[in-house]
Amino acid sequence: MLGWHLARREQPLRGGQTRAVATGMLLALVAGAFLLVLSGENPLDVYTTMADAAFGSSRGWSTTLGRAVPLGLAGLAVAVAGSMGLWNIGAEGQIIAGAIFGAWVARLLPDANGFVLITVMLIGSVLGGGLLALIPAITRARLGVNEIITTLMLNEIIIRVVRYLVNGPWKDPNSAGFPQAPPLPAQAALPTLFGRANIGVLIAAGVLAGFGFYASRSKWGYELRLAGSSEKTAEYAGISLRRKILTVLTLSGAIAGLAGGIELTGSSSRLVEGVANGWGFAGIIVAALALMRPSGVAAVAIAFGAVQVGGLAIQVSGVPASIANILQALILFGALIAGVFGQYRPVRTRTTSSVTAAAA
Amino acid sequence: MSITTGAAPGEVGGDGVHLENIWKRFPGVIANAGAELHVRPGSVHAVLGENGAGKTTLMNVLAGVYRPDEGTVRLNGIEQNFNSPADALAAGVAMVHQEFRLIPTFTVAENVALGSSPVLVRKREIEQQVSELADRFGLQTTANREVWNLSMGERQRVEILKALWRDARVLILDEPTAVLTPDEADELGRIVATMAEDGRSIIFISHKLGEVTRFCDTATVLRGGATVASSMAVEHLDAANLAELMVGENTEVSQRRARVHPADLDTPVLTVADMRVLDSHGITSVDGVSLSIGTGEVVGVAGVAGNGQRPLADAIAGLVDSEEGSVVVAATDVSAVGPKDRIAAGLSYVPEDRLGVGLAPKLSVTENSMMRSYASVGRGPLIDRAAADAQCTELVDRYRVKVGGLHHAIAGLSGGNLQRLLVGRELATDPAVIIAAQPTRGLDVQGVRAIQDVLIDQAESGVGILLISEDLDELLALSDRIVVMVEGRIVAEFPGEEATRALVGQAMTGGA
Amino acid sequence: MTRTLRTLTALIATLGLLAAACGGSDDAGGSDTKAAFVMVAPVGDAGWNFMHNEGRLAAEAATGVETAFVEAIPEGGAEFDTAVQQFIDDGYTVIFSTSFGYMDATEKFANENPDVVFEHISGFKMNDTNFGNTFGRMYQPRYIAGMAAGAATETNKIGYVAAFPIPEVIRGINAFTLGAQRVNPDVEVEVAWTATWFDPTVEGNTAQALLDAGADVLTMHQDSTATGQAATDAGATFIGYHSDMSSQVDAYLTAPVWDWGDRYADVINAAANGEYTPESWWGGMADGVVDIEIPTSSPVASEMQAVKDQIIAGEFDVFEGEILTQSGDVMVADGEKMDDGSMLGMSDFVAGVIGSTDG
Repeated sequence: MLGWHLARREQPLRGGQTRAVATGMLLALVAGAFLLVLSGENPLDVYTTMADAAFGSSRGWSTTLGRAVPLGLAGLAVAVAGSMGLWNIGAEGQIIAGAIFGAWVARLLPDANGFVLITVMLIGSVLGGGLLALIPAITRARLGVNEIITTLMLNEIIIRVVRYLVNGPWKDPNSAGFPQAPPLPAQAALPTLFGRANIGVLIAAGVLAGFGFYASRSKWGYELRLAGSSEKTAEYAGISLRRKILTVLTLSGAIAGLAGGIELTGSSSRLVEGVANGWGFAGIIVAALALMRPSGVAAVAIAFGAVQVGGLAIQVSGVPASIANILQALILFGALIAGVFGQYRPVRTRTTSSVTAAAA
Repeated sequence: MSITTGAAPGEVGGDGVHLENIWKRFPGVIANAGAELHVRPGSVHAVLGENGAGKTTLMNVLAGVYRPDEGTVRLNGIEQNFNSPADALAAGVAMVHQEFRLIPTFTVAENVALGSSPVLVRKREIEQQVSELADRFGLQTTANREVWNLSMGERQRVEILKALWRDARVLILDEPTAVLTPDEADELGRIVATMAEDGRSIIFISHKLGEVTRFCDTATVLRGGATVASSMAVEHLDAANLAELMVGENTEVSQRRARVHPADLDTPVLTVADMRVLDSHGITSVDGVSLSIGTGEVVGVAGVAGNGQRPLADAIAGLVDSEEGSVVVAATDVSAVGPKDRIAAGLSYVPEDRLGVGLAPKLSVTENSMMRSYASVGRGPLIDRAAADAQCTELVDRYRVKVGGLHHAIAGLSGGNLQRLLVGRELATDPAVIIAAQPTRGLDVQGVRAIQDVLIDQAESGVGILLISEDLDELLALSDRIVVMVEGRIVAEFPGEEATRALVGQAMTGGA
Repeated sequence: MTRTLRTLTALIATLGLLAAACGGSDDAGGSDTKAAFVMVAPVGDAGWNFMHNEGRLAAEAATGVETAFVEAIPEGGAEFDTAVQQFIDDGYTVIFSTSFGYMDATEKFANENPDVVFEHISGFKMNDTNFGNTFGRMYQPRYIAGMAAGAATETNKIGYVAAFPIPEVIRGINAFTLGAQRVNPDVEVEVAWTATWFDPTVEGNTAQALLDAGADVLTMHQDSTATGQAATDAGATFIGYHSDMSSQVDAYLTAPVWDWGDRYADVINAAANGEYTPESWWGGMADGVVDIEIPTSSPVASEMQAVKDQIIAGEFDVFEGEILTQSGDVMVADGEKMDDGSMLGMSDFVAGVIGSTDG
């Protein structure tokens, strides 16, 4: 029986993950060029438009960075949990919870000055996301309930909560009956940094850099990596897994909640059902591409944001949405696949070689 | 040495199972070196041997999992060339593995019939047929129950039913009693007898002499990948000759390592009293063990693998909870505290599973070296990386660990270097007592020597050592005292100078 | 992170250089006015976004102005900002945002870009210079559609698959019910909410539930044709919405439809001539933005045509008293007509509707 399977590389690929991912994206661009030619577009024009929209001007940069904020924070949320082997599939819901809490604060303090209001709103968002993640954290740590399932289910629950709020008690009386909360007070909008980017970029950059540093340099981050290596090793090293699971999952939710708060105060200006907009799920892709390393999330988030901005720009320039979407998917897919090959190498399978591992 | 009794040459190639001159090599290991096995239809045949004797490999050859490098597999006189377990199954050979391969949310009947029935079947009909089959062989089960609410014994019966459903004429049971309670084991004995009466060949892999003499007709003993006794009648088997067959009759007395400082037995560094541990299936794995290690004493734990050594070590280290009993490390009672506090009290542990427990393969040499000390490397929440590297360099130099770089993942290191790193790290905390589980397994001669030297040095300087090993020579060479574990209990104890392979081996096989 | 970033930037810069070397030049000919449309979902083949795209094409043909569109842009997210900014950067001078949830973001853009005309569809906000809103009095053809339904039902039960209990939808249900009652006083209209604009599975299941409850005529306020499929499968009659669905649905009888083309052309022309004045434009059948085809097979076809003529001539108002609510309160007093403000905020069902406006 001959075939192929993937074996983990014992030593990382030369040039590392970065090179693997860049190669994958490049190959995807080549494949995408064929697709574009087939659909009657000039690939060079299309790619230029994409690159130009994402990085060609200060406004392009501001748009790209603006998208990298929720992507990066959601990615960090998933990566923090992922670096100890936990899967937080609920970042989407935690973003919503963060936005709900942020909006709640704005309801309670409509007259506070901008700085105070935004600060308290963001603290509220962090609490909201953290509280929602506390539920899967407790059930996982205490009862061993799989956090993938609980975080995923909580997404469904919190979406119903926000739907109830914007259809019921928080419904804006001045929106012609449309299900949305009233606008936030004007002073609750995050100040603009440059172009279309707001202060959220600085907050996210600070959080990402801080976590990247802390996770790689602190005792806490070391324990995280140990626990991610194997639960048994962590217990052997004297680490309390339960407490670790509890704090890490909650922290993961808190970071996602912050993403929700920044989205609320930064770009959506009022609470709507779709506030999370899929960022939480995109965060899973970001974290996976960053190999669950908090220090790698920022770069991936910016690249991911650029692909999205570029994808929209070519739509605006007349490329059909379907083609633009396939192109975006292709680039991400290429990066993901290449990321896998950065970690694993294909190995020819023979009946005997597949059992070596079993015998070892 | 090779004993061949009961298998007349004329029988070779006749009815039943015949494996001849089976060779199977893996990188660095020869798992089977000309092994043979002959099983008549209608018999229950034991396959015995120490861990690493080649039993599992030989059974995997018969079950189509591996292709032998050399040798022939014959069933009822016809030579077989299995490419997969499916081929073997088609020829009537089924294996019941130690880990059950059942779908928890399916019913018994669904699991039994899965993959071997036409697509469209009437559920009731299948349940009816499975029940009838079960009744015929005395396998008590409820065909429409979902597997997740069955006990281990019941799940095993479902696995056996799966084999019978496919009309397997040869059933291999790989250590079938390991997950069973004593009552369930007796029940299994009856089922096995019924299946044999039906003309099937049952191959029963076991370490336990008692079971073999009760359940089996004939036995094959493997040692070092070769068959040392083929198809001997179990009535000829007693603890003494089984031990001799399994562990060999090495007449050469193991060279005891000379000691300068004798152990001080009056000052125990580890005292374990009445320890009882349950495994994840709720079966007793350590059953009332008490032992004490004096200052500078090396206590060896002998036993066939799976007789409670590993849970004993884990429980002393605090990695698994014990149901009963107390642990005192250097005058500190640590019974109620976790691993961290036991380390602090002076306990070190070199676990059997180096890369799965003792070391983190994806982390770097430095990161692995600071597993015990990271809390004190650097002030506050941050790790002082320079200090950690310095500490690691010292460790690597002292124990001569060959590394590519301190910041490379350790997954690329050889077994000997990994073990030196692990042992060195565990000794760096200046422990009062160290548990060393299989500390030299898989190492080359120099590697073995280096680790043994380190352990003896430590004992000389007053550290108590609990040495768990499957290598009798190692135990005989290093231990001041040897205890023998069988089925979770300490069944025998020998002073180091009086212990011999024969005595210890006999105790290991339950004959003492 | 810097390394990834550098690699990526290098990659993109390389691509950019290659493209520049190949030297594609944009031809910026024709008029200065270009119009862009932002759609909330793929334009598809029948629903809300499809009709906006039809309107865009019609306006392009009528005005000769270049148009473009983006689809599947979520409400309240950053995609909208990115797309609109890109359109502005690319020189588009008229921007139509065709979903309610774009309202706040459109307002923001309008205030930041005084030289660009923004027309928001289905909302209510505007400013004094460059931001207006457009909508249509769909309740008018809904009323006529109700007449066809009331005449077609034999069980006297009509099923209405509806998305969200917002005034626009409630208004349509009420108008439809009043039309049905006009030709059949015993008729009841049972409403079932789907809580989604577009989900064929949910819509189909909801339609089936209404059929199971005894309805033999179905209509809907959704973006897919799933209700029509369910009606066809059950041998019931279907009254559509948005567009002429006769080619997709066998059970199709007629449908109140959108026709944005003229209105779009008017806005674009006004902008091109510098004559754009923001307003809350709420056009009816007289303006052509909404319409219904009279099915000749209907026993009430001539009465439907008469009502249509009256509405266009301004001689008949759908919400003219006396109209009672579900609970028997007076919604519109005898002889009075409901004003636009009340219509835009309508939140109660009229008598004869089965269901609740709580969703």
